[in-house]
Amino acid sequence: MNFRKIMTVILALVLVVGVFAGCAQSSVTTAAAAETTAAAAETTAAAAAEKIKVGVIYISPKNDGGWSQAHATGFANAVAAVGADKIDLKEIENINDADAQQTETALNQLVADGCQLIFATSFNYMDVVEKVALENPEIKFEHCSGYKSADNFANYFGQIEQPRYLSGIVAGRMTKTNTIGYVAAMPIPEVYRGLNAFTLGVRSVNPDAIVKVTWTNTWFNPQLEKEAAISLIDSGADVLAQHQDSTATQQAAQEKGVYGIGYDNPMYSEAIKDAYLTAPVWNWGAYYQTRLQGMVDGTWATGSYWGGMNEGVIALDAMTALVPADVQTEVNGLIDTMKAKGNDFVFAGPIKDNTGKERVAAGTSLPAADQFSMDWYVEGVVVAE
Amino acid sequence: MQPQNRTQPPAITMQGISKTFATVKANDQISFSVKAGEIHALLGENGSGKSTLMNILSGIYLPDSGEIDIHGERVIFRSPRDSMAQGIGMIHQHFKLVENLSALENIVAGTGHGLLLDRKAARDKVIALSEQFEMDIDPDRKIASMSVSEKQTVEILKVLYRGSQILILDEPTAVLTPQEITRLFHILHRMREIGQAVVFISHKLNEVLSLCDRVTVLRQGKTIGTVYTHQTTATELVEMMVGRAVDLAIERPAAVGSGQCLDVKNLTVKDHDGVARLNQVSFTLDHGEILGVAGLSGSGQKELCETIAGLCAPNGGSILFHDNQIIGKSPREIIRLGISMSFIPEDRLGMGLVASMDIADNIMLKDYAFHKGPFLNRKEARAKAKRIVEQLSINTPGIYHTVRKLSGGNIQKVILGREINLSPRLLITAYAVRGLDIHSSYTIYSLINEQKSKDVAVLFIGEDLDVLLELCDRILVLCNGQVTGIVNAKDVNKEQIGLMMAGETLTESEAV
Amino acid sequence: MRLRIAKKDTAGGYKAVLIRVGAVLVALVLSGLLMTAMGYNPISAFAAIIKGSFGSKRGLINTITVAIPLLVVALGLSISFSMRFWNIGGEGQLIMGAIFATFVAHNLPVNTPTPVYLITMAIASMIGGALFALIPGLFRAYSGTNETLFTLMLNYVAIKITVFLRLVLWKDPEAKGFPSIEAIPKIAHLPKVFGIHSGWIIALIATVLVYVFLKYTKRGYETRVVGESERTAHYAGINVRRVLISGVILSGGLVGLAGFVKLSGAAFTLSESIGGGNGFSAVIIAWLAQLNAPVMVIVALLFAAMEQGAMGMELALKIPASVADIIKGLILFTALASEFFIAYRVVIEPGPRQLQKQAQKEDQV
Repeated sequence: MNFRKIMTVILALVLVVGVFAGCAQSSVTTAAAAETTAAAAETTAAAAAEKIKVGVIYISPKNDGGWSQAHATGFANAVAAVGADKIDLKEIENINDADAQQTETALNQLVADGCQLIFATSFNYMDVVEKVALENPEIKFEHCSGYKSADNFANYFGQIEQPRYLSGIVAGRMTKTNTIGYVAAMPIPEVYRGLNAFTLGVRSVNPDAIVKVTWTNTWFNPQLEKEAAISLIDSGADVLAQHQDSTATQQAAQEKGVYGIGYDNPMYSEAIKDAYLTAPVWNWGAYYQTRLQGMVDGTWATGSYWGGMNEGVIALDAMTALVPADVQTEVNGLIDTMKAKGNDFVFAGPIKDNTGKERVAAGTSLPAADQFSMDWYVEGVVVAE
Repeated sequence: MQPQNRTQPPAITMQGISKTFATVKANDQISFSVKAGEIHALLGENGSGKSTLMNILSGIYLPDSGEIDIHGERVIFRSPRDSMAQGIGMIHQHFKLVENLSALENIVAGTGHGLLLDRKAARDKVIALSEQFEMDIDPDRKIASMSVSEKQTVEILKVLYRGSQILILDEPTAVLTPQEITRLFHILHRMREIGQAVVFISHKLNEVLSLCDRVTVLRQGKTIGTVYTHQTTATELVEMMVGRAVDLAIERPAAVGSGQCLDVKNLTVKDHDGVARLNQVSFTLDHGEILGVAGLSGSGQKELCETIAGLCAPNGGSILFHDNQIIGKSPREIIRLGISMSFIPEDRLGMGLVASMDIADNIMLKDYAFHKGPFLNRKEARAKAKRIVEQLSINTPGIYHTVRKLSGGNIQKVILGREINLSPRLLITAYAVRGLDIHSSYTIYSLINEQKSKDVAVLFIGEDLDVLLELCDRILVLCNGQVTGIVNAKDVNKEQIGLMMAGETLTESEAV
Repeated sequence: MRLRIAKKDTAGGYKAVLIRVGAVLVALVLSGLLMTAMGYNPISAFAAIIKGSFGSKRGLINTITVAIPLLVVALGLSISFSMRFWNIGGEGQLIMGAIFATFVAHNLPVNTPTPVYLITMAIASMIGGALFALIPGLFRAYSGTNETLFTLMLNYVAIKITVFLRLVLWKDPEAKGFPSIEAIPKIAHLPKVFGIHSGWIIALIATVLVYVFLKYTKRGYETRVVGESERTAHYAGINVRRVLISGVILSGGLVGLAGFVKLSGAAFTLSESIGGGNGFSAVIIAWLAQLNAPVMVIVALLFAAMEQGAMGMELALKIPASVADIIKGLILFTALASEFFIAYRVVIEPGPRQLQKQAQKEDQV
């Protein structure tokens, strides 16, 4: 037999085996699935019928290490707590929140799939969620970080400013150059709020420190985030904080030998052990559990949720050994106050903006509505060139 | 390299060669044999299987069946490299040279095995070869500065340098002056003397008869026969090629002129670099007259055609058509006046046809705009296309056949058919029979004569001097953009025209 | 054994169909193998793709909704491509169309009748797209500037213009500090017909018009001649410049119209992501359909179905989006490869040793 024939036969075999393997495996699994289904059909028929489909759309991959991962972890924990036999979670990743058409078709897919409650976990989904909620009054929607709501459309968020303020204290204590870098995503009130809370925390313990901010205009672009972080370090920052969906800023801090404060999730890992101090983190499971339970019990109701540290939906990650014990004690000592007073404590006057104008008088706090539309910098923030 | 020896096996023996493309039998049991020390002509009309056979010999195609022996050794060519290794070298019609390298660099390119080239040894070998074959070539000159004939010589040197014992030349004389042809033949004679085998592909029967020892004729993929040139005649060869007797004389009906059609005065055209491509060209052309234009390729023929057709703006001079100045008019206005130009470029499709469209859509290319309304009048185009296909016996499955898939001769018939169908007052045709076989060429000559008899003025730009001398009433000779003479075709011979093409003016040539 | 790639002389009818069907099968087998290797059941995955794209009324509506702007952009680009004007600027022209339409939507008096409102927006979007295509068109026509890079870079210009509008000029004061552009008013929404926004009617009309234009009008004929060879066009008396410019205007205008369709039918708010990559996907659609308008309808639908099917697969099998993307890529890759095999063929030639053996055998006989 010659070479060509051998090659042809081998190629044919590979294809045939491939097809059969595919079919065989699938038929086996289908058969097995059919059996189990059949066997379990009677006992779980009622339960299966009650299994509630809950849909989620994420802006980035579920394992982005940041924002979407925090939500996905929250959902996983909530489902485990409420009962995997009661909730069927349906997730779609990578839905660009600025692409209205894609958002709408993704939401429609979830509706078509029979979801009864649908979560949209990024700000820009808001208008589309409103539209789809209006078209599907029998289905419930929840939107994270927005401000619109309806009878079947709730919004929810957390006062991440509280742990941000605390992490600011850590940064203010740790900096030697009195310059702290901050990589910020989009110029929207949520990000201004976090940046300002952080800076207020820094300046509460170190009035000489400044916070240099760089805007990336993207939520998730690790390369760009890293470049921004490095340029901040090059301009003198020795502690970095971030409002992004990836861990790139921490990696930059590790590589350049400075400290880094994370965001979204507890971010400690071997790879960034010399940089990572702490992070303001989300614990969405706390909120999602009550909402999913509400669906199971039939008590779900619309509303606007804005939870603080006292509700457990947000927290400060445990500080690493890099943070001196006295600083740890100082920060931990504030947690109870924070839980008691919330954002009124964070945005308590007197507060000047970075042009020197007084924004909050002494003895008062910034009203929630003004926090919600914040688009200015507090004193101490410098926008990097 | 020994002189020819009777007991020596032939240089090439091809036996029972068959090759089928899709449904077409391009080669059907062809046998072909060339002795060492022989110049052997391969004759055949377009589509007779010559190119397929030569492509098989040079390793481009693998035959479906049949055997090839080179110097008595059975060989199988899977690639041009294998063929080259057996000492077979092919000179194509289009030269494959790098313009901004020297002759030497082109000759040795691709031969070295190491990175470094032994320049001195290579140079000595090239000089030795050119002396042996009495070629006049400066190895250090850039190809870009060479004439067509010199480039051809470099191509020949290139294959000789690689040790070729067998040389295939595809229509080598098409681009040469009579004097250059003589020089080429001299080189080929030298090769014959030292026992090399030469395969000579040409349409020009008189060249074949004067140069070659034997001729093999192919027709429709089959070998018709091999004959000794001293035992045959042109008429006999044509009969073998076409399959029936053909009258080889080109008619020249008397000019019936009804007055002047075109009056060109001091026409000057410069290219981007400011070099004059046409320099003070003046001539007149009457209705019912065929004015031939002779000249080496690139002597200004293209610029002349394009200027009259309005495709290129002249730098000076005037063109009067029926006493109307046409310089400055748009191509479409000129088409509307009844001036029709067809220029067959070397690749045939470059200008004049839209290769990806079918015949019907190509037929309307020149006159679709003259119909009313925003829509195309396809019905009329279809009818016209059918008529043209019939009249010119264009070989095509139908008028919806894509032009690109037609053979060269049929493509040219489509162009010429369309131009004539416009009923022009002035017909300009350049290289109308370029690469066509005898039968198709004669069809086109008679089409042109028919136009002449219809009182159309014809400007015929040609390559084959024999044809120009027989077909045209007068001949204008161009050299480097200048007119070196306008003569009555009856009063001159080929050699005189050749000298004028090389730049000598009429009076001097007459003096010689 | 040696492999060689050769251009096919005939791209024959039934063989081409056979190759395309084969490509689909290869795509299925390959992605099936991949899914099996990753522990997913390929049969239910394919079922989920079909169910997600065509299986339910909502799925079908989704698919058509996604296909509409893809089709309109592909139609627009096909005019550019038939004159070999390499318009890679679909995304930018679509965005410009949406910007112009947004401007009109926010500035017409509210008591304008809906049809007038919509038609004015449509015209504005066509002007926007056309103007944006005209810039590289003029450069190409008058100074021979390469349009490929030019149109490509203009995409980013359009995106940045939108960002500027969103952050500064058109920042919605009602959005509580969020930098976004105000949504267009209800009156500017395309009404729904059969449950889908009426952009589908616009797309089908555009399909017929583009088909008739390229095939039956003088200008369409000229466009194709110019695409084949500018020299030939010149020779035939065609004013190449005029054809180029009018073609570019038509092409950009249609792509701009897609911006209006997307704005008024699906997005309602202008943002830099309104293109959603349609300008690039449409390049593939136009060429896969070989610039044939009716075929583009089918290709655009299949393309959209692939998107929706991928989402359906994510939902049904809970596979990550990245795996769905790989499968999408695999299908697209085989589709493109099949076009290659329709135009070219791979010749398997016997190697030297084999031929020698053969020759020896024959000699013995």
